[in-house]
Amino acid sequence: MERLFIVAYDIQDPKRWRRVFKTMHGYGKWLQLSVFQCRLSRMRYLQMEALLGEFVNQKTDHVLILDMGPADSVKPRVQSIGRPFEPVERIPVIV
Amino acid sequence: MVVAEPKDMEMLTGAMIPPIPARMLNEFVYCPRLGYLMWVQGEFEHSADTVEGGIKHRRVDKGGGSLPEDPGEEEIVHARSVSLGSETLGVTGKIDLVEGEGNRVTPVDYKRGKRPHVEGGVYDPEKVQLCAYGLLLKEHGFECVEGFIYFVGSKERVPVPFDGALVSRTMAAIEEFRKVAAGDRIPPPLDGSPKCVRCSLVGICLPDEVGFLSRRGVEPRPIFPSIERGLPMYVQSPRGYVRKDGERMVVEVAKEQVAAAAYGDVSQVALFGPASMTTPALHECLRREIPVTWFSYGGWFMGHTFGSGHRNVTTRTAQYRASFDDGKCLDLSRRLVAGKIANCRTLLRRNWKGGPDALPSLMTSMRGDVRRAVRAPSIESLLGAEGGAAGRYFANFSGMMNWKDEGEGGFDFNGRNRRPPRDPVNALLSFAYAMLVREWVVALSGVGLDPYRGFYHQPRFGRPALALDMMEPFRPLVADSTVLTAINNGEVRAGDFVRTAGACALTEKGRRSFIAAFERRMGLEVTHPIFKYRISYRRLLEVEARLLVRFLMGELKRYPVFMTR
Ligand code: SF4
Repeated sequence: MERLFIVAYDIQDPKRWRRVFKTMHGYGKWLQLSVFQCRLSRMRYLQMEALLGEFVNQKTDHVLILDMGPADSVKPRVQSIGRPFEPVERIPVIV
Repeated sequence: MVVAEPKDMEMLTGAMIPPIPARMLNEFVYCPRLGYLMWVQGEFEHSADTVEGGIKHRRVDKGGGSLPEDPGEEEIVHARSVSLGSETLGVTGKIDLVEGEGNRVTPVDYKRGKRPHVEGGVYDPEKVQLCAYGLLLKEHGFECVEGFIYFVGSKERVPVPFDGALVSRTMAAIEEFRKVAAGDRIPPPLDGSPKCVRCSLVGICLPDEVGFLSRRGVEPRPIFPSIERGLPMYVQSPRGYVRKDGERMVVEVAKEQVAAAAYGDVSQVALFGPASMTTPALHECLRREIPVTWFSYGGWFMGHTFGSGHRNVTTRTAQYRASFDDGKCLDLSRRLVAGKIANCRTLLRRNWKGGPDALPSLMTSMRGDVRRAVRAPSIESLLGAEGGAAGRYFANFSGMMNWKDEGEGGFDFNGRNRRPPRDPVNALLSFAYAMLVREWVVALSGVGLDPYRGFYHQPRFGRPALALDMMEPFRPLVADSTVLTAINNGEVRAGDFVRTAGACALTEKGRRSFIAAFERRMGLEVTHPIFKYRISYRRLLEVEARLLVRFLMGELKRYPVFMTR
């Protein structure tokens, strides 16, 4: 079962930041500067966690992974000022 | 001259069996079927557990090392990732860590997670694996009376003494595994075991489903349908262009990004006509075993590009063998065709909007068609039964359609025509079948079968015969019903088609809405009539493909064709 996560990070070094930013594109949707919204199975979650753990500097950087609950049923209570917030859906890409 | 039977050639005699990796011995002790699938058939599937295990191991494997050449010298031994093998024992192994002094050493095996709450703090399969390392070290002249399991999660080291009982258990497991590997029978699945829920190969093994079909036991637990998989990516816009951007695939139309998806979320890519993909994007798909299928602009299935593919040769061998067996071919063909006719009949019964009179007699004659198919004495007479049923079915097909668009002159349907389809309904049907063929090609290749060698459809150049066979029962359920929904909901309209010289095809926009309708259908959950759990059509195709493998390998007496009620 997939869960919805918000991942926020604070990375001191710009090179590491870019690396984390790129990696996160493989797991979720970019929300704002250093914040992603992800919909992940346990397997994908573990992969992401392991990669982030490897890339960041444990002393200076900080990554927060917030678990919002089961992705199909949860209605996250989010107040969004400005642009709207839409939880990521599971849909095929048709272009 | 003695000519070996094909069967004998593949069977391994005892002496030919290569040494068993100690890791595989672990799997074998966990479940003999798992050991067999992994080692003999080369099956592998990532699960959360294997991913986690791999990550923890990466750290251990970093420092390599070697043991002293001549055991006995007084020195401290501390070697990582030590590979050892022994013909006499019939085992090989890569030991995470060997430490000790002089010729007294202990192997240490790293395990993810915490020390389990079992007697001795270590599960049996791990003990056997560790003991095999101990035996290997002894073979190489070391003294070795115990080993350790190190639990990364709780940072605990648990000792495992290599006592007489464990040593004989280990030796017995090696011998047993060699015997199983030399035979050609896969060990049966465990019976309702909680081990299956955590097993990474549960989707390949289908323990409950196989057990249920062969012994009529308890209803299968829905372990398989709950495994998450990605979704397809379709690029049908002629100017569509897929490129790799780090961890994502980005789709551009006229240099502008229109969509993006993480590689990890994509199960397959379908490209239509001139839509294209960069080599790096394709390489990444191949690396990740994401199949890429190619269609003509008009939606004709042209082929697929796969990675280096499936290693399980046994499956394909069983498929080819069955395809040369006329009796098996006829048996399977009858079931598939009968299933299709029955499913067509059900679709008509459920969706009939036509005149009040035709239906009862139609239902009766179609039941007759099913019976004719089941009893068909030859492929020719089966073709006859199929043709008769198809005639009846398509003659009444329009009875399932609303006629909202009649004013615009759209959606006349006077029976099936193809190559090229001459009216919108036929264009939709042809397109839907091409989409379904793709789904089957992907599903069959994914389980290690060859989609081009069939039982009912004869192999012809470029025609995926097995995919065509397997899709028969699903034509009405997935393809036809998508066509009906799209028409009846007004998702495609008369304006979504172009006509040229007697041919009719979907426009780009029409195709996009139709693909969306098809995807919805594939994602729809139905209750499995035999297994009783809910499963989407997409997963169902995979289950059916796996069950076909189990049938071809002789594990199931009959192939259970999917039929809705
Ligand atoms: S699913 Fe169960 S029976 Fe099948 S290999 Fe795994 S543990 Fe064995």
